[in-house]
Amino acid sequence: MASVRAASRLLSRRAISNIKAVPAAAVQNSRNFHFSIYGKKNNAKVSDDISTQYPVVDHEFDAVVVGAGGAGLRAAFGLSEAGFNTACVTKLFPTRSHTVAAQGGINAALGNMEDDDWRWHFYDTVKGSDWLGDQDAIHYMTEQAPAAVVELENFGMPFSRTEDGKIYQRAFGGQSLKYGKGGQAHRCCCVADRTGHSLLHTLYGRSLRYDTSYFVEYFALDLLMEDGQCKGVIALCMEDGSIHRFRSQNTVIATGGYGRTYFSCTSAHTSTGDGNAMVTRAGLPCQDLEFVQFHPTGIYGAGCLITEGCRGEGGILINSEGERFMERYAPNAKDLASRDVVSRSMTIEIREGRGVGPEKDHVYLQLHHLPPQQLAARLPGISETAMIFAGVDVTKEPIPVLPTVHYNMGGIPTNYKGQVIDYTDGKDKVVPGLYACGEAACASVHGANRLGANSLLDLVVFGRACALTIASEHKPGEKLSPLKPNAGEESVANMDKLRFASGSLRTSEIRLNMQKTMQNHAAVFRTGSVLKEGCDKMDDIYQTLDQIKTFDRGIVWNTDLVESLELQNLMLNAVQTIHSAEQRKESRGAHAREDFKVRVDEFDYSKPLQGQEKKPFDQHWRKHTLSYVDRKTGKVTLKYRPVIDTSLDEEDCAHVPPAIRSY
Amino acid sequence: MFFCGQQPLNMFFLRVWVSASKQAVSRKLSMESVLTGCSRASSGMAADKEPLKKAKTPQGRFDVPEEKSKDVLEKFPDNINPVTKEKGGPRGPEPTRYGDWERRGRCVDF
Repeated sequence: MASVRAASRLLSRRAISNIKAVPAAAVQNSRNFHFSIYGKKNNAKVSDDISTQYPVVDHEFDAVVVGAGGAGLRAAFGLSEAGFNTACVTKLFPTRSHTVAAQGGINAALGNMEDDDWRWHFYDTVKGSDWLGDQDAIHYMTEQAPAAVVELENFGMPFSRTEDGKIYQRAFGGQSLKYGKGGQAHRCCCVADRTGHSLLHTLYGRSLRYDTSYFVEYFALDLLMEDGQCKGVIALCMEDGSIHRFRSQNTVIATGGYGRTYFSCTSAHTSTGDGNAMVTRAGLPCQDLEFVQFHPTGIYGAGCLITEGCRGEGGILINSEGERFMERYAPNAKDLASRDVVSRSMTIEIREGRGVGPEKDHVYLQLHHLPPQQLAARLPGISETAMIFAGVDVTKEPIPVLPTVHYNMGGIPTNYKGQVIDYTDGKDKVVPGLYACGEAACASVHGANRLGANSLLDLVVFGRACALTIASEHKPGEKLSPLKPNAGEESVANMDKLRFASGSLRTSEIRLNMQKTMQNHAAVFRTGSVLKEGCDKMDDIYQTLDQIKTFDRGIVWNTDLVESLELQNLMLNAVQTIHSAEQRKESRGAHAREDFKVRVDEFDYSKPLQGQEKKPFDQHWRKHTLSYVDRKTGKVTLKYRPVIDTSLDEEDCAHVPPAIRSY
Repeated sequence: MFFCGQQPLNMFFLRVWVSASKQAVSRKLSMESVLTGCSRASSGMAADKEPLKKAKTPQGRFDVPEEKSKDVLEKFPDNINPVTKEKGGPRGPEPTRYGDWERRGRCVDF
């Protein structure tokens, strides 16, 4: 085999020296990789405007959607339905996106189980966000929720039903009736136990009806920005190493969250915050990245979460000394204390050196003191789960657990229509041509804390909102604004540099350093000194990106290159997260600090407002963080933006004035 | 190996070989060995190899009569939950009974 290769190399060198040098643009693949529909406009042109080393293909579309999860697919086929020539650029096959793991349900005030009103859902969501959510976006989402769920059901999503045939709703996610005074509300609709999986398959199947062009396994490198307007995306085709520039008037980012910045997370390996990083590199801000939702008991290594029911049934958390440490932190509630208390206690134990395992970085959840039949009856399936994910026999050994990242509330700032905004001169300014939806976006519906079953709703409502906004403001077939011929040069140069990188640290080592640092310093336990130390360490780790070493020099399916690109994206997200967390000196929702335990608003809402003076904007913390990064130095700058407190229609649905959040 | 399968590349080889016929003998020899190597590889590959080991897929697994391994979470009759009368809902105990969405001991939403 080697001799064949050697011979062909010698021959080809001889052959080429006799022929004129062939420009890279003319190097075509001998086989068409992509399936094209007969009759479809195929105006992809090959150019060598930005690179002679890589074949560059230019495409023109009316709209480009980056990411094909729940939000991306909804936006893509919403746009196709409206007649736009849409491209969906995704690094994974659509049904492999992380939405498939969202097995919980979708909240909607359909009123099938009892009388319900979306305004009560609005109130619950605003309260859950700890008054950091933009109330106009929450109004939009909760008002559209019933219509969105009915639409999904019309698309064929097989929700579970009541006896009458209506969609069955169950109680979940902190939902209440009558603005918190009417007891538990039943709002969560589900599809057996695989709502996210079913949602994704329904949306994908539906999108095939329209002629969206799917560019699967294309890694989006950067946005093509010119004069503050987004004019498209540049992407790397992983299959053959060619660069593709997608020019369009409208770009929608729906790339998901960035759980992989932490050592322990429930997200897939592909949740690397690519959209947030692309927007950061374009000089635009990311919003509220310090709000990261944790769960106390995630299995060490695997990242799957163990239900709180284990502790409810009598399971206990123990440290390296075999001590039931929750008795010290919560003498009354012990292991049944609230999630954030448990997470913080576990982290403190680990920090003080009483963690278990070779690196002393997790604790144990012990269930073997409970009778096995009771365990099997109350928690069926847990022994298989523990065996598959942790490799332990739950009736004999404890399960290794540690606080795990589950969701990122922060992301790309948008208004309630899905348009990306920047905050300049004291006002929100729309970035023309750019939209965002899903977990990647922060229309700030979740604020400081996400309620259960709201994120799937967020996906479909804002995916649809982006499509509707684009359809209302643009027409299919609009002329594209001119773009400089060398747009995207730096992205290709960066990719080329990574492909031939030969420093001293491997991608996996730098990534592990970043993940460990974030887990130790920017996780649940946050205090000034710990965060400051973490900020310095993260800045150093950011600088080590220059010493990255890659091994695969190939161009076809170079996963080393793609992982390194993802690492660059993760790093941008990580530095913004930790710097934003360090600066926010209060505790709100998922961001809980030991040194500033109270929420700092413009008034002290625990006392009557009469006679209180309103604090100026820079002295309270009920505001959104906007973070910018200088890509070369890694320096993070922070700005703040006020929370939108008015709903879309004050007569229809009055806004909820802030109050103390207690359940 | 795949070079040998493609027609254009074979032609390319031959053409270049012909044009480079004035080359050193060692080149010619390596070329010959390449071509013979190819032809040897493309034909009768399995002839000198040992017989295929037993296939990894368990043969006849689906021939065994219906004794499916019991799933820990049992199906409801007609897929209707007897207590809540929910049709097509999650199997097993109510997932939200502990305040989070629990399935087989794993929490998927909270």
